[in-house]
Amino acid sequence: MVKPANKLPHMHDYEAHVRAVEEDLEYYRTKRLEPRIMNLIRRGVVTFYGLLEAQSSVKRKLRSKGKRIKDIVARIRVLEDSLDDYVREIGVVSSALADRIDVVTEDSRKERGDYDEFFRIAKKERHGSLEERIERLEEDLRDYRRLLDVFTLALTLSGVITEEELKKEREILQRPSVWNGARIVARAWADPEFKARLLERGREVIRELGIPPGRVGKLAVVENTDSVHNVIVCTLCSCYPYDLLGDTPWWYKHDIYKKRIVENPRAILDEIFRLKIPANMEIRVHDSTSDVRYMVLPRRPDDTAGMKERELAKLVTVDSLIGASEPLHPSELKKAQESGEAIFTARSRDYY
Amino acid sequence: MKSMAGGGFKVGDRVIIKRENPQGNPRTPMYIRGKQGVIVATHGVITNPLDHRGLYPPLYTITFDVKDLFSGTSGDKLWVDVHEDWLEGG
Repeated sequence: MVKPANKLPHMHDYEAHVRAVEEDLEYYRTKRLEPRIMNLIRRGVVTFYGLLEAQSSVKRKLRSKGKRIKDIVARIRVLEDSLDDYVREIGVVSSALADRIDVVTEDSRKERGDYDEFFRIAKKERHGSLEERIERLEEDLRDYRRLLDVFTLALTLSGVITEEELKKEREILQRPSVWNGARIVARAWADPEFKARLLERGREVIRELGIPPGRVGKLAVVENTDSVHNVIVCTLCSCYPYDLLGDTPWWYKHDIYKKRIVENPRAILDEIFRLKIPANMEIRVHDSTSDVRYMVLPRRPDDTAGMKERELAKLVTVDSLIGASEPLHPSELKKAQESGEAIFTARSRDYY
Repeated sequence: MKSMAGGGFKVGDRVIIKRENPQGNPRTPMYIRGKQGVIVATHGVITNPLDHRGLYPPLYTITFDVKDLFSGTSGDKLWVDVHEDWLEGG
């Protein structure tokens, strides 16, 4: 079956972590927050003047001012946490708005330039030494967060949404997580009948695990076998079962991945992800272009007979749910846990 | 969000993707436009009020050979979801 291989090459070093924050941060700013503000300004729901007024009343304590953290790892962790915060709060305000304003995803796609490059908000260029990049990220996160806070406050000051609604959204927004995907995969490995039902009608079946499918139009679970390897992309934007699996890895939204995975999937899996697919195995690239959202059911690793579902789930990585890697072999997880090597499994963003 | 039956094509049909379809879902990738593929799954009309105003025509998953779309000798496949109004019988 699956041989352990060198996995997640882009997650071993600090530079990769910093790059991930850079990619995600710019993505959320230019795709999720700023186009929404523009959209509401165009409709007169929010005005520049309302933002100015709100700005004068935002008092936000700036984290770590005066007290400089020296340790690179600690700084990266703070960045990752602040990014999570930023992403979560964008989600909170968006959900609160969705109840009040007639807006559909299609409008957002138009507004953020998915269909017309003219509308795209420019992303920042990132370069310099690692330290310089970290410093710039710290500054940007403060600025970006400030705009988000001002925007949110402007919405409450003008009565578009209320503090109570925001609070409620924060409470009910239980972050969907890739751990959901890991549990689904582990159950499918352990229970062939569950697997059969899952492949046939994914969305309904995952409720058996107490996992709400969220707002997924149709969920398709595609199974990797000895003859077929599936990999998922959304070449037009970044469709993914977010409500079910949480956020994607940063590379999923990267233009190079989107372009090259359809042009030459075998070479890209090898070059970028160090995943060698045997010549006699067919690769299927699923491009999420419409209402169907895809998740890969990876092959069960060797030497896992008799393992409990919960243990099996820990072998599932975010990347393996997209088809960019195999799940971990038990020895890899053990080795990483012992050595403290940074790897990402579905269980959390923590270092093992 | 349930699927409804409907659609004039079936699994196994060869179809050609239109080059232009100004009224249709703009999310049909450029790289399959004007190309021939084979239907591998039918989804019917999917109601998806989160993403769309109103309903789009029935949806199909269509498979293409990578080597037909891009040069090379790849034996690999692309599976792409396309709405019926983009399709012409192959």
